[in-house]
Amino acid sequence: MINAKGLVIVTFTAATLAGGSFAQDIVRIASPNKVTTLDPIASAAAGNIEAFGQLYARLLRKDRDGNLQPALAESWTISDDGLTYTFDLRDAKFSDGTTITAEDVAFSLNRVAKDEASAYPAAYAPVSAFTAVDDDTVTLTLEYPSAPMLSYMEIFNAGIISKDDVEARGEEAFAGDPVTSGPFMVEAWKPNDRLTLKANPNYWRDGYPKVAGADLIEVQDDNTRTSMMLAGEIDASRGVPFAQVDEVDGSDSVTVPLSPSTLIYGVMPNHAKAPFDNLNVRKAAAMALNREATTKAMTLGKAVVANSTLPNALTFHNADIAPPAYDPAAARELLESEGALGAEITLMITPSFEQAATLLKAQWDAAGFKTTVERVDGGLWWDRLTKGDYQVTINWWYNETEDPDLAVRWAVCGSCGNNSYYTNYNNDDVNQMVEDALREQDEAKRGALYKEIQRISTEELAQIPLYYPPFANAYSTRIKGLTLTPSLQWTLEETEIVN
Amino acid sequence: MKLSPMFVCGATLVAVWSLIALAAPLLATHDPYAIDFEALLAPPSAEHWFGSDNVGRDTYSRVIYGSRLALYIGLLGVIAPMVIGMTIGLLAGYFGGWVDTIAMRILDITVPFPFFVLVLSIVAVLGPGIENYFIALALVGWVGYARLARAEAIVLRSSEFVLAARTMGFSHPYILFRHVLPNALSPVVVYMMTDVTLVILFGAALGFLGMGVSPPAAEWGVMIAEGQIYISTAWWISFFPGLAMVLIGVGFALMGDGLAKMLRIER
Amino acid sequence: MKILRFIVARLLQSVPVLLGVSIVTFLLMVNTPGDPIRLLVGVRASDETIAIIRDRYGLDDPILSQYFTYLGNLVQGDLGASLRFRVPVSELIGQFYPVTLFLVVYSIVLILPPVILLSVWSAKRPNGPADQIIRIVGVVGLAMPVFWVGLLFARFFGVTLGLFPVSGFGDTIPQHFLHLFLPALTTAIWVVPILTRNLRSALLDEMNRDYVTAGMSKGLGASQVFRTHVFPNSVLPTLNLFAVIVAYLLGGSVIVETVYAVPGMGKLMVDSILARDYFVVQGATLVFALTTIVVMLAVDILSALIDPRINT
Repeated sequence: MINAKGLVIVTFTAATLAGGSFAQDIVRIASPNKVTTLDPIASAAAGNIEAFGQLYARLLRKDRDGNLQPALAESWTISDDGLTYTFDLRDAKFSDGTTITAEDVAFSLNRVAKDEASAYPAAYAPVSAFTAVDDDTVTLTLEYPSAPMLSYMEIFNAGIISKDDVEARGEEAFAGDPVTSGPFMVEAWKPNDRLTLKANPNYWRDGYPKVAGADLIEVQDDNTRTSMMLAGEIDASRGVPFAQVDEVDGSDSVTVPLSPSTLIYGVMPNHAKAPFDNLNVRKAAAMALNREATTKAMTLGKAVVANSTLPNALTFHNADIAPPAYDPAAARELLESEGALGAEITLMITPSFEQAATLLKAQWDAAGFKTTVERVDGGLWWDRLTKGDYQVTINWWYNETEDPDLAVRWAVCGSCGNNSYYTNYNNDDVNQMVEDALREQDEAKRGALYKEIQRISTEELAQIPLYYPPFANAYSTRIKGLTLTPSLQWTLEETEIVN
Repeated sequence: MKLSPMFVCGATLVAVWSLIALAAPLLATHDPYAIDFEALLAPPSAEHWFGSDNVGRDTYSRVIYGSRLALYIGLLGVIAPMVIGMTIGLLAGYFGGWVDTIAMRILDITVPFPFFVLVLSIVAVLGPGIENYFIALALVGWVGYARLARAEAIVLRSSEFVLAARTMGFSHPYILFRHVLPNALSPVVVYMMTDVTLVILFGAALGFLGMGVSPPAAEWGVMIAEGQIYISTAWWISFFPGLAMVLIGVGFALMGDGLAKMLRIER
Repeated sequence: MKILRFIVARLLQSVPVLLGVSIVTFLLMVNTPGDPIRLLVGVRASDETIAIIRDRYGLDDPILSQYFTYLGNLVQGDLGASLRFRVPVSELIGQFYPVTLFLVVYSIVLILPPVILLSVWSAKRPNGPADQIIRIVGVVGLAMPVFWVGLLFARFFGVTLGLFPVSGFGDTIPQHFLHLFLPALTTAIWVVPILTRNLRSALLDEMNRDYVTAGMSKGLGASQVFRTHVFPNSVLPTLNLFAVIVAYLLGGSVIVETVYAVPGMGKLMVDSILARDYFVVQGATLVFALTTIVVMLAVDILSALIDPRINT
């Protein structure tokens, strides 16, 4: 029986068919994060990171288990002093069919390491130079040893671009429509809407990618992505709100696996401003928070309560430490003894932290703070954070690799350029250990250093860690093999369409 | 003047809301800001009549308290634009000449701006917060009132009783206040009634775009926005503030229509 | 000839208006706290990198010189480039404007039939049962937040019934109609009540005029008088309102485009304000303003054609 509804559907399906646009052989991914540039060194914003991995191959890659594997570099050797790396390149081609030479590799990597406009060169600080020895050989010389250097040849901004292309057309044209070395190339880029990719026929991995193309669609609103997912208009949705995970997962054709991430959420006090320049006040703020219950409310029990200033997914994560336990009465006493009872504090948040702010304010006020919540948009938030113009805020961060080097530089190092995530936490011992740990070639000693860094920075409450959430992305059962790696890369090249 | 039944219905509804706002502490069953980890997303029950939200706050009490903010935003958000708009409109219409020319040029620039986008930009400049929303509304919203008042003033300027008053030697301010203003007031008040609803709605839309009232304020628009992701798991979070918004909107709109009918200025 | 002179005069008049619009927008944007470059290069970039790129884009020049540079380029038809995407603003507008225009026209097409039907129906027996019901339902539609209605429609018509797409624009004309149906419907929910109320009032005003009473007394049928006299005369005031509604629809597109992930100007505008993408906000505002001005001009010309008494 064809009822009215069926008829309407048939009609509309016919209209869609007549349109000729088939989404059957491409994978459609919706993400709240915007693609703003296709130049891998120009940005370290999440949406761009998600795109760079599809466009540019790196010297190394990570397999499904997170182990480093050869990619554009077929093999490599490291000198005994750890200062010289020699990479042997495989025969590979760019999307325009030209050969990827050692020149291109040296050009790309020197650019990310040394160009003044490189958005995130922190990993390459020890680099002296990348040099093309011959067509197939590149050497990397360091000024001082860096234990995780090899793994940095895999991160999002270490992608190889075509020197000829950049020089022939200029950086601006390149950033909009680049010649690529990765599994995909640009079919069309509509800024503020979507990046349409098609398979790169010259990609070095034979048989990959397995799909003809992909759409990276930018959809800001959580509900809209969920509606699209449930209506079958996309194949993957980045960042399903925890409140909707069970609902979306319960849908027939969609799964929402919770997959490991290197994310950490935390409260960020400004150490350069009263009252949080006082360790005891920070302690009181931590003790006032029931972090277990707060985590449960915010993630509906889908995240682990954080115990350290670093993500638990990193190697050398210190499991034996913890911030002060929940004890509002003791928090009040501590505030009283510091003469800070009734201290007026302003909690600055972006719109996505409304729930968290409500929870924090209620608990802090109960322990004797007087909290005002100030909601600002993302643009203002970054501006005031980086200028140190705030008292306390909440945010998350992630780490590119499982190695903690970049993480400690980002979050707890006062001398690494970002003032400990702009909290102005600055401990000379910690700073020194950050540099020592980078140069330390002995795994056990390195581990001990990182554990010590975590112990000190957690004890001093550089930040008040809240929780370690998993990625909650939704995937259609139409596709297989798509996941988001902890370093924010989609495994699109290994994705297959199954029905 | 006979009271129209529409006006009575609308006025009653608004009066009831005003009473609720005044008596909020008596009517509320919970502290509208008290979080409760044991009662996250609780469905409507004897304890939580309208259920509870994602931090365990009582939705009923928040809707009750929210009426204060809604009336505050609604009334204050139109009063300033009305005063500014009427002043400019009356002066421009009554005196004409260069006063009118300048006023009209400013009007011309404001009209082609999409209203909402302009409010949004101003809020972005000033920062979030109710006060800044009011400032934005005052800067933008006066235009409608100015148009109305100007049109009335132009008609009244050449009316017999104003001309009579002039020949009798009354001053301009006296005539403006005693004769022109009262007569120009009625269309303006009617317009104001619909404007109140729109102002409350715009406030909610700002909340949706993340630029509304800061938490933990009990503001219906923000409550609806917050409740959106729970639409199929905890519908009560957004449903009840939504219902409240409709009820207050109906009240003001009926009042406006009723007034219009009573004053015979259907527009 | 007269009409042509009228059009030219009006277009010339709109030049200072547009200039005013651009000054206001520029002042708003440069006074908005927040650094576009920080948002552009991401969280990890150092202050030094930010400073270098700010300088490269001329963001540290004196404000007045920035504005005059902008104005100079504008006169030559150059709207500048997006800070975020490094593509010309005109390219972005070319990409997003047709979508919003389609949406606005589509909304109007959906809106007009119910408006005419409902207002005539309620004006025939003012304050009768039909009038009251239409009024109450209208107010309810008006008082529901657009984003909430949008979400409910997407879930019900899109997910539960599977009738309409809940996002996007599509590639072909039939697809556009399909994809933009829910956004247009959502818009109609709050615009129909406003227009209905106004057309109804206009109809009632006309019906109370002397000529109607006279026509009736001459024995003309009520419905004939209504059709030949009342209705045409009521169209004029509604037509004026129409121009205002277009401005509303352009502004309202911000919300529906966000809710339905429609790649249009409203979404571009909000995103650009949030990203402090100055030149895109500038360009988009100018295009919005120009659209409103053109619509108003069209309305005036149409009014003049319908009713020659209006002084052109």
